[in-house]
Amino acid sequence: MAADGTTRTEKFPSGILSVGLGEVERQVPLDEPPPLPPNAELAVIGKPAPRQDGRAKVTGATRFTVDTNLPGMLHGRILRATLPHAEIRAIDISAAARHPGVRTVLVLARPGDSATAVVRYFGAPVAAVAAVSMAAAEEALRLIRVDYKSLPFVVDMDKAREPAAPLVHDAASAPVGHPSGFPAPHGLPLNGNVRGPATDSRGDVAQGFAQADTVVEGEYRTQVQTHCCLEPHAIVADWRADGLTVHISTQFTAGVRHELAEAFGLPLNRVRVIVDGMGGGFGSKSTLGDYGRIAVGLSRQAHAPVCIILDRQEEQMTAGNRPGTWQRLRIGARRDGSLTAISLLSYGTAGVALGAGVGFVAQGLYDCPNFESAQHDVFINAGPGCAMRAPGNTPGAWGMEQAIDELAERLAIDPLALRDRIDSSPVRREERRIGAERIGWRRRHAPGADSGSVKRGIGVAQSYWMANVQINSSCEVRVMRDGAVEVLSSVQDIGTGTGTVMAQVVAEVLGLRPEEITVRIGDTDFPAGPPSYGSRATASITPPARTAAWRVLQLLFREAAFALNAASADLVAREGRILVRDQPARSMSFGEAASRLRTDRISAVASRSEDYGGYLRSMGDAALAKQYLGGVQFAEVAVDTETGIVRVERVVAVQDCGRPINPLQTESQVHGGILMGLSYALFEDRILDQLTGRMVNPNLEQYKLAGPCETPAIEVMLLENYQGNSATDAYGIAEPANIATAPAIGNAVYNAIGVRLRTLPMTPAVILAALGKIPSRS
Amino acid sequence: MNHFALVGARTISEAAEAASTTVANAMTTSPDAMGRNGTSVVKAGGIDLLDLLKENLLAPVKVVSLKEVPGLDAVAEEEGGGLRIGSMVSLADLADHPVLRQRYPALAGAVRGSASPQIRNVATLGGNLLQRPRCWYFRAAEYHCLRKGGGHCFAISGENQYHAIFNNMACAIVHPSTAATALVGLGATVEIVNAKGAVRQVLLEDFFMPPDRDIQRENDLKPQEILTAIRLPPLPASTRMAHLKQGEKDSFDWPLADVFVLLDLSPDGICKCAAIILGAAAPVPHRAKTAEAALTGRRIDENAARETAHAALDGATPLAKNAYKLPLFETLVRRAILEAGARR
Amino acid sequence: MIDATSALMGQAEAAESGGPPVAGPAPVPITLKINGITRTLQVEPRMTLAEVLRGLLGLTGTKIACNRGACSACTVWLDGVAVCSCMMLAIEVGARNVTTIEGLASGSQLHPVQAAFIEHDALQCGFCTPGLVMSCAALLEHTPDPTPGDVQAAISGHFCRCGTYPHVVSATLAAAKARKA
Repeated sequence: MAADGTTRTEKFPSGILSVGLGEVERQVPLDEPPPLPPNAELAVIGKPAPRQDGRAKVTGATRFTVDTNLPGMLHGRILRATLPHAEIRAIDISAAARHPGVRTVLVLARPGDSATAVVRYFGAPVAAVAAVSMAAAEEALRLIRVDYKSLPFVVDMDKAREPAAPLVHDAASAPVGHPSGFPAPHGLPLNGNVRGPATDSRGDVAQGFAQADTVVEGEYRTQVQTHCCLEPHAIVADWRADGLTVHISTQFTAGVRHELAEAFGLPLNRVRVIVDGMGGGFGSKSTLGDYGRIAVGLSRQAHAPVCIILDRQEEQMTAGNRPGTWQRLRIGARRDGSLTAISLLSYGTAGVALGAGVGFVAQGLYDCPNFESAQHDVFINAGPGCAMRAPGNTPGAWGMEQAIDELAERLAIDPLALRDRIDSSPVRREERRIGAERIGWRRRHAPGADSGSVKRGIGVAQSYWMANVQINSSCEVRVMRDGAVEVLSSVQDIGTGTGTVMAQVVAEVLGLRPEEITVRIGDTDFPAGPPSYGSRATASITPPARTAAWRVLQLLFREAAFALNAASADLVAREGRILVRDQPARSMSFGEAASRLRTDRISAVASRSEDYGGYLRSMGDAALAKQYLGGVQFAEVAVDTETGIVRVERVVAVQDCGRPINPLQTESQVHGGILMGLSYALFEDRILDQLTGRMVNPNLEQYKLAGPCETPAIEVMLLENYQGNSATDAYGIAEPANIATAPAIGNAVYNAIGVRLRTLPMTPAVILAALGKIPSRS
Repeated sequence: MNHFALVGARTISEAAEAASTTVANAMTTSPDAMGRNGTSVVKAGGIDLLDLLKENLLAPVKVVSLKEVPGLDAVAEEEGGGLRIGSMVSLADLADHPVLRQRYPALAGAVRGSASPQIRNVATLGGNLLQRPRCWYFRAAEYHCLRKGGGHCFAISGENQYHAIFNNMACAIVHPSTAATALVGLGATVEIVNAKGAVRQVLLEDFFMPPDRDIQRENDLKPQEILTAIRLPPLPASTRMAHLKQGEKDSFDWPLADVFVLLDLSPDGICKCAAIILGAAAPVPHRAKTAEAALTGRRIDENAARETAHAALDGATPLAKNAYKLPLFETLVRRAILEAGARR
Repeated sequence: MIDATSALMGQAEAAESGGPPVAGPAPVPITLKINGITRTLQVEPRMTLAEVLRGLLGLTGTKIACNRGACSACTVWLDGVAVCSCMMLAIEVGARNVTTIEGLASGSQLHPVQAAFIEHDALQCGFCTPGLVMSCAALLEHTPDPTPGDVQAAISGHFCRCGTYPHVVSATLAAAKARKA
């Protein structure tokens, strides 16, 4: 940002605390607060703070969308296709409409309408009813008669790539792409069921391979993973003459408001989106969704609020998934480890949707002058994939971080030493150093070296995530005449603790304790906040929260200055008091200062400004920060080579998120990423029956998830990594924490048994097969 | 769930009288064929029944609860040293029972490792033995499979990673009860009473129904019969037992494989008699007869255990996705034999 | 189709033949003691305790996440014993005391497990939290000095996607210490 009279020059702490801090100069807008010092000098930021909604959650008082009960509320249920690919020839809703409990019926798949008459996956919506009770709604669904004409289908990605494979989409129905990628940009060619490639390149890969002393090549597969949020997708839509109010379990209230306004032709100020408790999203609740559109349609038709809650089977089959992938990586390197060429070919499937890339790990994690990638989407007749905790990069790291491990072995270079050579990130260098010490990397033996049937191993892997910022993020801070303080934004807390970090930031500014700040979020009546995806909420909302608090403090200072006979510029807020700097006797309590306000309430609103050091790229409402997020994880495993069981005994995770605001909550986030990554590595798999195209494990019992007894000992170390980019210099961590876990475990398993697993999940069946233990009996 | 009336049976005969048929029959017969009154089935703890009802796999008009029937929830020592376990004893109470833990420790362990604490607090031993299979085609109303009266087994050429490796040519389910693995090995009998009060005792091993005897049910419970007790014979002091199971994960999972071994050892460690039962291997708990014979007369040591374990997979016919169960079972049998043999 | 007549007829049948009592399928009155308060409700036999708690009594602290007893989010106590309320027919609760998450604290005084969950950040989105709190509190009633393995076993039926297990274990161990002190 240029120094053009609207900014001032400030010095910010810069660098990694454990390596050594320096300073960086930035231009800060005049209406934004001065730089924060490192956390050690702060009262509240950087300290563990209990969640502001903790009491409500542990007493069951928190209201989630599924707990919402409005007067006259109807219950909606969706009739879903029972074939993986079919044309709806006829649909008779008359008996359902006559059911005494039914208030309205919506037909979604209209016979003869080329846009809607074909269903393309088992579970696709066909019709919907709203009734006075859930039971009546379910009875009504059973009364709907659908005449399906079954069409050829394919549910296996490899088969879908074959030239003669049944076509999932035609030119009209194929999704056109979206800019956020993974990769799926607009305008890529579609051949049969294969869309793409999305390509990227730099340098000259052919020459790079020619220069290589060694080339490693490997093929890797990852499975389809479902989000398994504890709270299912849920919405209560209340269509009224004066506007639409929607309670929805969502990761983005402001975004859903836009979608509703657009979909239903309403002005923004006539749409209100609310969420209080939100039972997990992980990427699956980023949009309004089919179910949301259906609920609003039913409400509009029935002139009553309509509640739709997906049951667990609907969740598993239709509410989103992490696409499955196949990738082939070739890496060329010189004898000293420096990389000369990386070539990546991938195919992935998000069912009937797009977005099955393998991210940017291969092209961005390590220094390599020559790179090429070609990523493809493959359609199959299965539930639509969507973003899931570090989309693309999580499956991408599975391949890349094992390939690098393999390269290290080929070159007889220690995997950490190799990364020191080819990874120019100072953050990850420091993370490797700290983590190696903590896990005891020196104990690591040669692959398969343990004698005995239980073999132990240690592995490492890294993560790479660009920091996202939602520029369109605003926050209001209010101070009441009785001293009460509120912070308000439409941002939602999906379990990450967003509300608490906002309270901490505001408390730091005002010299109060976080529990004295009332957090009001999750309502689009408040200033529009960011989404809770892309690990961007903290980076997007805490700077405006601080700035708004600082602005409102200046207003408070004006009143206090008069009473203290001092200048505003001489006042500080600390430990619940407003005092003259260096003269603590000249002070008053925060409450006393507030009581002097001339009006009942003062307030300031702030919006996210541009990063002080500039962005890497701006794209409308969002931007890519120059700051990226690292993360290095070490795993120690014990493999029982006689049963094929892998036990992850210990994980050491060294992560960074700029300025950590609440290390207690951040540690919880990292736990979550690790456990999800462990579960992805060992257990989870969306299994489709090939004959019928139906998911055979659409529940929480046979879709296997890591539980308490699979939990390793986890040690989390957080770096403080200051960049001087914003009023808080804080970033998110949810996704970085999930990327490295599976490959760290994979590398540990290789170290344990000397056989590399390239397919997820690493079930006993897979391990035993890899060890050659499965006899060929006829 | 569909509507049903709840019958609060006060005696065994009231319960037997009120239940028109077994759950298995109810799941293979269309409602119309049962006549205007519809079906009525028995409910014990209700864990399996509620799952079946919620999945719309059956829609009885009446559910006959055993909750108020006296005398079904006691564990009593029998003359001669055996144990009589009422069919309504919860898995939690059973796992914690001091006599069971002392005299049949492997059975107590098998029960303690089943399901979750919440489930064990409600599920009954009788219900556990009579529960329907977990095969995911069986558990989905969309698949009208052989066992439910349809014409096709979807698992045999489908997703069969969790299915049977023995006796799987017609129907590939595995028997879902882990307790049954141990009970069959212990020579348990079940006590069954009908509406007229007639009592029959059946060896549990004979009570289970392989597909070639009847593909539509896993046991020989007849309509209007109530399973009232499970009886364990006394064991000579020379017996040692072990039960091992392995799930894909340790938290609340169905076993990929479980094994029960009962050895009767001579004073100098020679196996006089062995019971080796494989669970999650076949449609009924699978007795590894070749292995039992192989171990008889041998001293329990590494070699004997290894060779016996190999013999335990004699006759296995793995399907496309479950051959991994062979080395897994072999390991568990070997380890269970050594564990039992090492007990004092 | 349900109507009151069939329920009455059911009762009449039973009375005439001297057979066992038959309830429903239409709603029948039952008495439940929930968190110390006795309530009489009209309940269909097919309604689960979870549905009754949430739908009829407004006690939405108990959550339904899988509705099959596979995740334990719906855990409540019956006479102090942890059960999945989604797999329990309300009509069969009988005279047993039902304790839900709403009944665990004593007024404003949190149960030690609740306080420890907050202090150790054993919650994130909070949806699985009530069930976990009930299981951990039940554990401490029966095992006042648990090992980490005891806690893991007690919560082995619970599923948490946010990944709270490590903090749940440390919170429960801390709560056990606090109770002893």
